[in-house]
Amino acid sequence: MNKIKTKDTIVNVFVGLSSIITIVALAIIFGYVFTQGKDLISFDLITKDYHARNYVAVIENDTNQTFEMPSFDDEQVYVSSRYGIALIQSQDLAGDSVIKVAYIDENSPFTTMINQDPSKAQISLEEDAVVSRITYVNHPSSLTNKGAQMMINDLNDPEREIFEVMFATTGGGIRGSIITTLYLILLTLAVALPIGVLSAIYFNEFAKKTKLTKVLRNFVETLTGVPSIIYGLLGISVFVPLTMRFTPASGSNLIAGALTLGVILLPTIIRTTEESLKTVSDDHRFASLALGANKTQTTFKVVLPQALPGILTATFLGIGRIIGESAALIFVLGAAIKDQVRILEPSTSLAVHIWSMMTDEPANIALSSSIALIILLIVLVLNIIIKLIASMWLKKGQV
Amino acid sequence: METVFKVRDLNLYYGKNKALNSISMPIYKNKVTALIGPSGCGKSSFIRCLNRMNDLIDDANIEGDIQFLDHSILGNNYDVISLRKQVGMVFQKPNPFPMSIYDNVAFGPRQQGIKDKKTLDKLVEQSLKQAALYDEVYDRLNTNAYKLSGGQQQRLCIARALAMQPEVILMDEPTSALDPIATQKIEELINDLKDDYTIVIVTHSMSQAARISDYTAFFYMGDLMEYDLTDKMFVSPQLKETEDYITGRFG
Repeated sequence: MNKIKTKDTIVNVFVGLSSIITIVALAIIFGYVFTQGKDLISFDLITKDYHARNYVAVIENDTNQTFEMPSFDDEQVYVSSRYGIALIQSQDLAGDSVIKVAYIDENSPFTTMINQDPSKAQISLEEDAVVSRITYVNHPSSLTNKGAQMMINDLNDPEREIFEVMFATTGGGIRGSIITTLYLILLTLAVALPIGVLSAIYFNEFAKKTKLTKVLRNFVETLTGVPSIIYGLLGISVFVPLTMRFTPASGSNLIAGALTLGVILLPTIIRTTEESLKTVSDDHRFASLALGANKTQTTFKVVLPQALPGILTATFLGIGRIIGESAALIFVLGAAIKDQVRILEPSTSLAVHIWSMMTDEPANIALSSSIALIILLIVLVLNIIIKLIASMWLKKGQV
Repeated sequence: METVFKVRDLNLYYGKNKALNSISMPIYKNKVTALIGPSGCGKSSFIRCLNRMNDLIDDANIEGDIQFLDHSILGNNYDVISLRKQVGMVFQKPNPFPMSIYDNVAFGPRQQGIKDKKTLDKLVEQSLKQAALYDEVYDRLNTNAYKLSGGQQQRLCIARALAMQPEVILMDEPTSALDPIATQKIEELINDLKDDYTIVIVTHSMSQAARISDYTAFFYMGDLMEYDLTDKMFVSPQLKETEDYITGRFG
């Protein structure tokens, strides 16, 4: 009797410990990602371009007036009323120290400059732009690493005459990767959903239960367990050449990426759809057939509508997979972060963006964690949607 | 007397098991024919031959001949769809589709390509009236059929079959899942329907067969043992087995 009791206690301790270890491990991962990534999360991160664009410009007409400047509470802001500009010591989205424009008067000489590239277009310094260097005639330049205060002091020095201004629009945003991810979701589902659902219908509704269909079904199931890097190889050896053959694409591209992801999703979509087709009672199939409806009408008018919640679940699982996939896409879609997304050119999804950031020298853990947080949020929202649909379905079934 | 079905030497196999053994019988027009017999005797298998629902079972194999309105229906070339349009079926468990009452009744006609709202409205109303359900549901035709009681659902299934304006209605133990009051309603309905339709009903209840049918066929172990006027069979059965079964000594 006592022996059984001790055994029971030991088992209970192990069960408890295991669950504690699981929870702690998950909490550490989420905690790390959150603490690393939360600072950089902002609206700018998801709306801004990744690549900063650099400009070199000269001031066209220096009016030499004195501007009336507003007052700033922030101690890090330094003001030059001579040029009508305020600079702030700040950080870019990647976490590096930079000098940004905090305020600029609309008549400031910096608003009417000439771009020194071949276009010679007029260009204006705008708020939030990063000023990296101001060079002077016969005086040393002021640089980022000297700080915003030094830069303003130099500007206010009446002896100095500005030669050139180097500045950059702010970068580090992930807008391009978000757009790529959205494109991927749309294109992949457009390929995989119809094929997957129709195959599931074939397997469950039309195929006779022969050895061949059994083998095929097992084959599909096996495909679920194939590592995605292998699908990546398939993509680069089949889909990339295929798209290069039939489209103007010259290498890895979004369409090849979507096709590869489509193949990855197919087994999941087929399985999930088949499961939900199986839950539709045969009574309804018989009733429909006995009413003189043919097989196609029965399948599409009676069976499929009842399987819709399952197909929806398959869709959301698929979207989750698309957002999370990286290994297969590195080959097929490319790892170059793009701001201008074209479906016949390489770009990166959010997950591959993380991969790119982490293979940078040095690895950008902060930005990667922010992107990871965004991905986690999306997956969380998707999961909630799936649960809601499932519970709605259950309620409907109980009527 | 006019016949609807003429069955001759019908053998049915499920794989290697013989389910029906050389059945020959006519089914008379505008009569209620009851099929009785213990479980596994082949009566349900037989009724499913009449609209070829056995086709849906992969290893089912039929031999012999069934004539429906003087056309043989067992050939591979025979149009099963048009057969099922003329031979409706009501199942053991009420099985309305998870859609509105209206859509359930309109389902069959819609699959035949009838789209005109007025025609459908008329068909639905007429079918529900024939199935004695219209008065109970006329003000909520758009509610889900699952909201109806079991008996109402079964009458809805009958209405759904009637909407196809069939020649014959096959009923496979239509009241076995229903309470006595709902059963009584269905029985009254069957009585009304036989003026316009031929009805073949499988039942486990002797008293039901006695109450509603004109002819009764007794099946036993895949054989048709006895087939006669109900009044005659229940009063003076020819065979000992029939007598034992209808008096409740086995089965």
